[in-house]
Amino acid sequence: MSSGRAWQGNVKARLYERVRERGYDSLTAFADARPAVPLHLLAEELGKDDVAGVQVLSGLLAEAERRKQVTRFVRDVFTRLWSQSVPDGWPTVLDDANRFKVAEALGSWIAYTPETHKERADRVSDSLLATPPPPGWRPLGPDDTLLLTLLPDEEA
Amino acid sequence: MTGWREPTRLEVTTLGLLLVLALSSTGCASLTPPPGRGMKLHYSHGEAAAPLEPVGPQWLHHGQGLRGSTEGTARGSTLAAHLAFRGALSDVAGTTRRLSGELSKLEKSHWGIAGKGAGLFLPHVGYGQSQLRWMEAELAAATRLADAASEVEDEDMRLALLRLAGPRLEAAMLGSLVLAAWVDVLHLLDVAFKHGYNSLETLFVEMDRWQKMLEPAMTALASQEPGQLKAAAQDMPLLMGHLSGEFNATAQRLHSGLRNIQKVMALAQLVEMVTMVSAMKFSLPRLGPSAPATLGMGMMMGGDGVMMGTRIVVSAEWVEMMRRLVRAGVISLPAVSAAVRIQAGQVLMAEAHDELPHGVREALGDGPEVRGMRVTDRAGAGMAEPPGHHVLPKEFREWFEKRGFTGEMSIDHFCVRLEQAHHQAIHGGGNWKLGRTWPGEWNRMIMETLRKAEARAGRMLTPTEVLGTVAKRMTDYGIQMDFIRWRGP
Repeated sequence: MSSGRAWQGNVKARLYERVRERGYDSLTAFADARPAVPLHLLAEELGKDDVAGVQVLSGLLAEAERRKQVTRFVRDVFTRLWSQSVPDGWPTVLDDANRFKVAEALGSWIAYTPETHKERADRVSDSLLATPPPPGWRPLGPDDTLLLTLLPDEEA
Repeated sequence: MTGWREPTRLEVTTLGLLLVLALSSTGCASLTPPPGRGMKLHYSHGEAAAPLEPVGPQWLHHGQGLRGSTEGTARGSTLAAHLAFRGALSDVAGTTRRLSGELSKLEKSHWGIAGKGAGLFLPHVGYGQSQLRWMEAELAAATRLADAASEVEDEDMRLALLRLAGPRLEAAMLGSLVLAAWVDVLHLLDVAFKHGYNSLETLFVEMDRWQKMLEPAMTALASQEPGQLKAAAQDMPLLMGHLSGEFNATAQRLHSGLRNIQKVMALAQLVEMVTMVSAMKFSLPRLGPSAPATLGMGMMMGGDGVMMGTRIVVSAEWVEMMRRLVRAGVISLPAVSAAVRIQAGQVLMAEAHDELPHGVREALGDGPEVRGMRVTDRAGAGMAEPPGHHVLPKEFREWFEKRGFTGEMSIDHFCVRLEQAHHQAIHGGGNWKLGRTWPGEWNRMIMETLRKAEARAGRMLTPTEVLGTVAKRMTDYGIQMDFIRWRGP
């Protein structure tokens, strides 16, 4: 993952070959089996030296676009970034250091969110800070109740 | 701590004083483990990771400890490298403090170098002081980088910051060795003047020539150009050899120029005494008929450190410290080798670019993986480096400057080499993208991440926070945290 090899050859073919080798018929199925696991670790499992986290991200998005489940994808990405930056869940005390961890997760999430959903992600971020979830909150998947409330599916 | 070499009779007092100073002032002494323990802590490839305490899900450990590192650098060895770096910093800082004291004394030596002909020779003291200033500046910058490294949580970023600081430590370390020799020369003059030596003109011409001899090396070391630094390191033992030779010739001449037998005795003793500052002592043949002691004697790695005959060249502790830094890619083997050879005073016998014996090199951290680690570093081969790419987008230089990315933390220090395909891909090119609605272009993504994070944090981010966030996203993009300095557009 740390070398430039992830960017050589046919990225898509490699990604799907690895997913199939591991017994899944889609990247989404592979990721669903590993809820809230950060992207770079999904990538590492698919190919330590030749798959990058953003490639997995982009692949998951492509599948979500086809399935019209982009909102679910956005929630899924939230859980993966959240567990990376705020591994212990919503802080008991939102002091300066803890607030930064939350801010890092939210900032990264907005930046990783496709254009179509950016504004909503922005608003969700604000409302999370305005009405904090219970301490220890750590969504373990895209169907987390609070996440679903904040960012419900729109696609029909 | 002061692991350079075995203290001789004349140095015991100086070393003792330094020891007291170092122990009482900074407390840095406690950072370097004692040799016995140090040996156990040493880096061993792939198994040095300290056992991690079980908290949270398993992948978290995996992620924090081993992620994205080709060298298998784990928590334990990064910590070891960090401690070794602190140790080495305080070591070199001790040397520069001592040299600073020596130069101040010389500046006030009214019966010697600051007396008769002061106008001619005081500038040489000033030259030493000006060299000292850049070394102190480098040490201060290296210290700040090491401080930043201790604040960053990401292991790879921590190591990357130490690697940024490494060349500064190298430059100060080698520079202090040259400066020590220069201070010896000044001492010789000082002693000669105190004993009534009068031929100022010859000495003035010689001093001028010596300074010109040192100048290119000093400039190269102060330049912070990796290629120049490396070249200077490689040439340094030879340079020190020349300087020792000249020093010796001058000492001989001063010796025979003094008729009075008492003065001759005094000078012979004093020449021995003045060379206590630098390693030149060991490369100097004695004044008089006795044969030079060090000629033709090989170096070897012993239990107490690098030995030459029965003399300790550098202590086992120093070797261990350097080994960790070399293995972690923080400082380069050529620089460490040069330092050892200079310490050994091997200069007279090593006319060519002589390598250290295999066993010594190995003890200093040489190995196939270390040689392979920096294959991309083509600076030493004199080849043009591939262009660096800013990780912190240069279009937003001011934004980063406002957040503390200045000086040694300037965004120009955080550049990476990328293959063309990789570079194009992260800047929106290539056909890797599967999803349509997320552009994923690095500059845009990272600035949005930082800005949105800042808005939610309700304040400006600190450099450490910025680097921590950037480290996470670099990992997602498969960008290795191996920074180079940006040179040119």
